[in-house]
Amino acid sequence: MFAFTVARRYLLSSLSQTFLLVCGVALGVTIFVFITALIGGLAVLLTQQVTGNSAHVSIEAAPRIARVLPGSGLREEGVALISTTQRRQIRDWPTVVALLRSQPSIVAVSPQISGNAFLVRSQAVAPVSIVAVDPQALDAISQITPKLISGTGELGADSLLIGERLAQDLGLSSGQVVLLRTDRGVDRQLTIKGIFRTGLKSLDERVAFMSLQTARPLFVLPAGVTNIEIKIKDPQKAREMASFLSGATGLRATPWQDNNLSLEDALTAQARTGSLIQIFSLASIIIGVASALVLSAYRRRSEVGIMRAYGIPKGFIIQVYLLQGLMIGLTGAVLGCLCGYGLCLWLAGITKPDGLPALPIAPDQGGYVAALVLTTLGAVIASILPARAAARVDPLEAIQQ
Amino acid sequence: MTTILEAHGIEKTFRNGDEVTEVLKGIDLDLSGGDLVALVGASGSGKSTLLSIIGLLLRPTAGTLSIGGERVDLMSDAQRALFRNKKLGFVFQFHHLLPDFTAMENVAFPAAAPAGGITRDMRQRARDLLTKVGLEDRIDFPATRLSGGQKQRVAIARALMNRPALVIADEPTGNLDRESADRVLDLLREVNTQEGATFLICTHDERVAKRCSRQVTLSDGKVIIGGV
Repeated sequence: MFAFTVARRYLLSSLSQTFLLVCGVALGVTIFVFITALIGGLAVLLTQQVTGNSAHVSIEAAPRIARVLPGSGLREEGVALISTTQRRQIRDWPTVVALLRSQPSIVAVSPQISGNAFLVRSQAVAPVSIVAVDPQALDAISQITPKLISGTGELGADSLLIGERLAQDLGLSSGQVVLLRTDRGVDRQLTIKGIFRTGLKSLDERVAFMSLQTARPLFVLPAGVTNIEIKIKDPQKAREMASFLSGATGLRATPWQDNNLSLEDALTAQARTGSLIQIFSLASIIIGVASALVLSAYRRRSEVGIMRAYGIPKGFIIQVYLLQGLMIGLTGAVLGCLCGYGLCLWLAGITKPDGLPALPIAPDQGGYVAALVLTTLGAVIASILPARAAARVDPLEAIQQ
Repeated sequence: MTTILEAHGIEKTFRNGDEVTEVLKGIDLDLSGGDLVALVGASGSGKSTLLSIIGLLLRPTAGTLSIGGERVDLMSDAQRALFRNKKLGFVFQFHHLLPDFTAMENVAFPAAAPAGGITRDMRQRARDLLTKVGLEDRIDFPATRLSGGQKQRVAIARALMNRPALVIADEPTGNLDRESADRVLDLLREVNTQEGATFLICTHDERVAKRCSRQVTLSDGKVIIGGV
């Protein structure tokens, strides 16, 4: 392609100017990549902090809705009463769990019985949320075992794991016995097997873990479970997953975002800010490329003039300038992506004294494909104006200059 | 001899607001194949304007113009550009070579750009032309490393690349010293004979005019000697 040869020669003829131009584009792309990786990393960090000890999607029985029942006579109607004594449960939970485990994007499944109770020790009483799980899958949703500060994580019969704050409130330690009184009115003596510290007040002060088998008689649920908690590979896709599961099972599936709407708003606002910075980076690239090529078109007026005098088609001259934009954009974008990735890797390696990263940057979330495509496209668009200006050169005027 | 160019009643008027300047006032001019014609006249006589009209770089206000039997005055801009590329050659006072290309690439350019690249035939034709203009040892030299006379010889070779029916030269020796100018003139006469192309040379220089086979003199926008 001869236009490509001409474009390449034009760029190589003023090497220092081309070098500076490519560096300018690369700098813009580096900023684009850095901001994208930083915002991506921040979103991952915040999401991890919020969902680290909770499920990405919670599945429970669909709420019962009062409905009008047809009466025995033609004119009679009655209203179905919702039982307030019967606990909502998922009776066929093994089938649902099997379905969930067959989904490749689901990484953890935990059928649970959740309920409210009081822990009673002498005169001290504390409300507690019971989470009853399969003892083998205690850490499926919340990482409890690594956070035990005393005792063990073995959930045998009559065993209970409680948080550090709850233990302090009731003056309990591992191995002691405590009375549990459930909201079903069932009392039972349980042994504190372990005490954990997650750092989350809501967990450490209010939650206690036990096995499903222990919970069944306590909450009068001989076969069912109250909820099934799942974790998925990409927490950002929890909404889609919840929608799919709701349709597939007929149960109510709630994504984690529904319980953290303010965080979702904050992440959205943060993403918008990032988009604005990305747009400004791209705009500066476009303006830089356009102004450099406009100058080039002006400087080469007589050359373009002689081409036009020789009847070289306008399309050829337009191609020469568009190809210059393409080469500048592509080279700058590749260079910028490499520099951006290197910068992100370096920054991600910097740690605070506690060993955690100083910046929540995710080098793999630099938006490299978007940077490459948008920058190249932007540079080509930027070259349209100078290309048209060059193609419009009057050969007679240019030659007579 | 075949008539290459027929211009009848060519007029050109420039308007600048209310000011109207009549530069050409009904030019009649015929050129035959293989002619080497000098277009002479005082400054402001309309030589350059007539040359631009014949070179299809400017449209006449009135009159008809045929080159190689085709009514070029009726053509669209795109058709005129294509015609210029295929049938006309240009040599200007300043060489206007592309500085980032070699002598050979400059010569081949008018053929290579529309075709999308320099073919082997184009390369050979460009080499032959450069040899013809005495630059066989400068074929792959960058244009920037050639002297003024060499550059003008490359420009002449470029004008002949597409085997044009008519070569238009506007003061081709105007920027050259006497020795280089003589060499360029010899060359123009030589290629005129060898290539059979018709040359229309606009010049102020009497020495140049005298070495042409025919002279056309313009005065005040009219042909006063040698038009038809």
